[in-house]
Amino acid sequence: MELNERSRTRARRMRTPAILYAVGLLVALVAFFSLGNRNFLSLYNLNTIASYAAILLVVGLGQMCTILVGGIDLSVGGLMSFVAVVFIVSLKVVGYWAYPLCILIGAAFGYLNGNLLTRIRIPSFIATLGTGGIMTSLALLVSPLPVDAPAARYRMLQVVNGAFLGVGNLLVLTVLIFAVFFVILRFTVIGKSIFYVGSNITMSWMSGIDIVKTRNFAFILSGVGASLAAIFLACGQFGGDPTLGRVYVLSSIAAVVVGGTALTGGAGGPVNTLIGAFVLSVMENGMNVIGVNAYFQQSILGAVIVFSVFLTFDRSKISTVK
Amino acid sequence: MSGSAVYALTGITKSYPGVVALDGVDFSVFENEIVGLVGENGAGKSTLMKILIGLVQPDGGTMILRGSPVSLKDPADAIRYGVGMVFQDGTLVPNLTIGENLFLCHENGFEKLGFLSSRAMRKAAQALLRQVKVPDDVDTPVAEVAPAARQMVEIARLLWLSRLYQQRNPILILDEPTTVLTEGERDTLFAILNEIKREASIVLISHRLQEIVENSDRIVILKDGRNVTEVAAASARIDQIEQEMVGHAFSADRYREEEQREPGSREVLRVDGLAKRGFFEPLSFVVREGEIVSLVGLVGSGKEEVCRCLNGLSRADEGSVSLGGRKLTPGSPGDAVASGEGHIPIDRRSEGLALGMSVAENVNLLVLGRLRAGGLVSPSRERKNAEQWIRECRIKTPSAATLCANLSGGNQQKTVIAKWLSSRVKLLILDHPTRGVDVGAKDDIYKLIRRLAQEGIAMVVMCDTLEEDLGLANRMLVMKDGKLVDEVACPPRRKPGPRDIIGLIV
Amino acid sequence: MQRLTFLGAARRWFRRAGISGQLLSLLIVIAIFAIGTKGRFLSAANLQVILSLTAIPAIIAVGLHQVVVLGGIDLSVEGVVALCVVFVGLLLQNKLNTNNVGLWIIPVTLGIGGIAGFVSGVCNTRFRIPSFIATLGMSWILWGLAVYVSQGQTVALLDARFQGIVTGTVLGIPILAIIALALVLLLQAVQDHTRFGRYLYAIGGDEVLARQAGVKVEQIKIIVFTVAGLFYGLSALFLSTRLGSSQAITGNNLLFPAVTAVAVGGVALTGGIGGAKNAALGALIVTALNDGLILMHVNPYAQDAVNGVVLVAAVALTIDRRKLGFIK
Repeated sequence: MELNERSRTRARRMRTPAILYAVGLLVALVAFFSLGNRNFLSLYNLNTIASYAAILLVVGLGQMCTILVGGIDLSVGGLMSFVAVVFIVSLKVVGYWAYPLCILIGAAFGYLNGNLLTRIRIPSFIATLGTGGIMTSLALLVSPLPVDAPAARYRMLQVVNGAFLGVGNLLVLTVLIFAVFFVILRFTVIGKSIFYVGSNITMSWMSGIDIVKTRNFAFILSGVGASLAAIFLACGQFGGDPTLGRVYVLSSIAAVVVGGTALTGGAGGPVNTLIGAFVLSVMENGMNVIGVNAYFQQSILGAVIVFSVFLTFDRSKISTVK
Repeated sequence: MSGSAVYALTGITKSYPGVVALDGVDFSVFENEIVGLVGENGAGKSTLMKILIGLVQPDGGTMILRGSPVSLKDPADAIRYGVGMVFQDGTLVPNLTIGENLFLCHENGFEKLGFLSSRAMRKAAQALLRQVKVPDDVDTPVAEVAPAARQMVEIARLLWLSRLYQQRNPILILDEPTTVLTEGERDTLFAILNEIKREASIVLISHRLQEIVENSDRIVILKDGRNVTEVAAASARIDQIEQEMVGHAFSADRYREEEQREPGSREVLRVDGLAKRGFFEPLSFVVREGEIVSLVGLVGSGKEEVCRCLNGLSRADEGSVSLGGRKLTPGSPGDAVASGEGHIPIDRRSEGLALGMSVAENVNLLVLGRLRAGGLVSPSRERKNAEQWIRECRIKTPSAATLCANLSGGNQQKTVIAKWLSSRVKLLILDHPTRGVDVGAKDDIYKLIRRLAQEGIAMVVMCDTLEEDLGLANRMLVMKDGKLVDEVACPPRRKPGPRDIIGLIV
Repeated sequence: MQRLTFLGAARRWFRRAGISGQLLSLLIVIAIFAIGTKGRFLSAANLQVILSLTAIPAIIAVGLHQVVVLGGIDLSVEGVVALCVVFVGLLLQNKLNTNNVGLWIIPVTLGIGGIAGFVSGVCNTRFRIPSFIATLGMSWILWGLAVYVSQGQTVALLDARFQGIVTGTVLGIPILAIIALALVLLLQAVQDHTRFGRYLYAIGGDEVLARQAGVKVEQIKIIVFTVAGLFYGLSALFLSTRLGSSQAITGNNLLFPAVTAVAVGGVALTGGIGGAKNAALGALIVTALNDGLILMHVNPYAQDAVNGVVLVAAVALTIDRRKLGFIK
């Protein structure tokens, strides 16, 4: 009946522009900024853009998993702060084991978030708001002030800071991480289940998909993504800053949403987040290059997010928008 | 019951894509009467009522209310004319109290300088509750009030609103009011209705013919969207009404009866002493391979809940469900699916498909594990599987990558069926498989069902019409008021007619 | 499964108990800290501090909770307060410029807050953007504007007119607390005794049914968001004049305690339950809790962790699972 027609056209409108809008935006921004300043396209500047995009991409890929499954992770900031500090501190104690340790912390924390949703049934945005706050304070408890990596351990940071055949390890690792996420989401059963659950959780449940396992997994991936991003940042800064994560809650959501992944879940993917991360990086870099006030940038970012959500939100899924 | 009608509808027509709901129906309500409205599922009763209260606009026909032609914009409009309906699900807001619900959105009379006078409202509410004999306190949240009382509160509200809008002889429409009531509550309800009759008219929709005959003044019977006849209750006989309700032209080819096969001997589904308090009493039955068993009964017979228990969507209180000899874990759809059970849900859009995903993705959902090569899902195997089943089920789609939201209802339904077929189910539960599907697709679906039976898949179906149930089934299980009352064999070419069955159901 | 039934029973008790659950919790908190600080917690001076510190979070929580009753959430307070505070800094008598608008600052802050709330409400109703994104986005946008307008500077305030109100006491009770109490009582009266109140709870209870009954859902929602904004604006005025200075980051760290206060007070996230008195009581409990933690010299960073745990627990206990089906 009428409902069928309406949602058909809406669905059609939804899928096609999402990624085109993102790519179009990226191209437009690059054109705009390079006209504003010749140095925008210099190799050095492009490297800066790529490095920041890499961080956004890694944490964004994790965030994307929770959004795809229909939730959201507001705790990435707190987790990143915590991991950054713990990573540096544990370098002294366990050396190279700091890497797997911190990744494990991220996974465990993600699992906790997942269970708060799947077993205790607290909506993800409140649960992660709470756990994020807890992690923020834990980070400060471990170290109220930024802690520097001991010079003796600098070579351990080379895993991230070094270069491989002339290309920075950071970029290589990011490409690898992207590939892993891509493979998981496209080619594994549980990865594909994330899409099904996000698209229609009732149907997924009735079809026998293990929605508890799937959603927990999505949150674990988010925790891993956030902790990897934190490790990268800590290496690059040669130290752990307990307040470093604060900005990334907003930025990770932005990277996901601006790339065209719908907040409603079930639509989007790693390529969208890749484009979104670059859009954001280009925006920040470009605004700096042409001299826009740093704080005003946050306003613009906020507006871009709201607009992207407006475009991609699948209203046919929800009869009453709360 | 004299003179002209308070509300007269003439020649009402209403169609939806693929189906004619009402085809020139006449319906009138006179002063101070109780009119009973009966008909099978799909006869057009609910569509007619929705038009009466302005929830739906008719395509054609005239509506004359209180002497003047009207076109009702919405139910609020109807209320202003003194026409209101009490729905089965209830429209009271659960967290508000009885008193708050009674006067919701019409509190002007009680307002003084912007504030509401609780004393005045409480007094008025108590008076209303007394009239409908509701014992609960006015300040009780509706969520804590029994369904019977909730219904009376809704009636009280409608009566009060009519008085507010100064409409004489309000018309109250009650949709299956007795399904949730006990014996005693039913008597109370009808006693009150008889009192209310002195100042209002009531339209009573019920499948319980006994009640209708005992409590109405006049009975209107609908069938296939048309008037059949109208009888005075005093002289009505139940079996006569039953006969009028059914009796469509029964064409044997429509359901491909010649393809109906004898079931195999192996048992696929065994239901043992299954019961759920408040829904259905202990019942047992068996379905064999290749057998199509139809579960029939009216709304409230418990058949829907039985199917939910079979699927693992609901937990039964007693008894067990076994598939292929293995007992299913109650309340776990995952276990049911893993054991080889499939489910074509009644609402394919919200329960059957991921609309935002492609046809291929939906078809492959259950078999991703099998489509793996070296641990990872292989895109070429995905494509092959999807293409195979699109072909086999004749799904009309521009490509396998088209979003399901862009398919027609019939093709969406075929996608749902393809999804389960591809996973090699042993038992399939079909819940109204051709609802909202056009004629051409219906035939394809009947073909598919016959093929499934040939391949040895057992099926339990619940159809839109008695005719469809009879046409498809090898055997029919009849449920009434929560009990399994009869089992009827439906051999091809010697099938019982709907008239034979209807007496068992109502 | 025993754990679940205990949780279920506790949950049911909390939901039925009106504010008695919260009063009990408050008593428990007071008892714990009275013992823990060997009575210092109950000193007249400390109680005055608690009341004075509760006032502003209470005003914010009372503004916020109505959005929650509707079934949404309002995350915009930090941005709204930031912008209002910055304007206070620029327009009230201050060290930076020669402006001296005096009492006219009241309509200015209320105006900014109200307009922000109004826009959030319109985004939620007309453009169908979920409240948490609309208000979160509003917060970010306003915060950025605030920093931009203030150039990141801190401005010292010189106006004496408000000093009296924000620091004064009457019979030992801080005037701010009295103002907060008056606002709570006013809003509670509106919720209990006006049509608006009934419509508010109807929407929270079942929006579809409420609309069917004739409730003008969009109108009510926009009003609720606007009122929330007004409350945030008012709190910004009090906050900055009490601190005697204005900077964009004044608004930071206001959201978390406010949401916690609302949840702890018994306002269910699912909507339809809980009133102004719940929100205010929740603010009192949270403030008392944090005050006690400070008195007992608990590490300040651990306090956030405690608040986080309290928030999650409060939500877990008050949420109506029947309404949520599959939770996201």
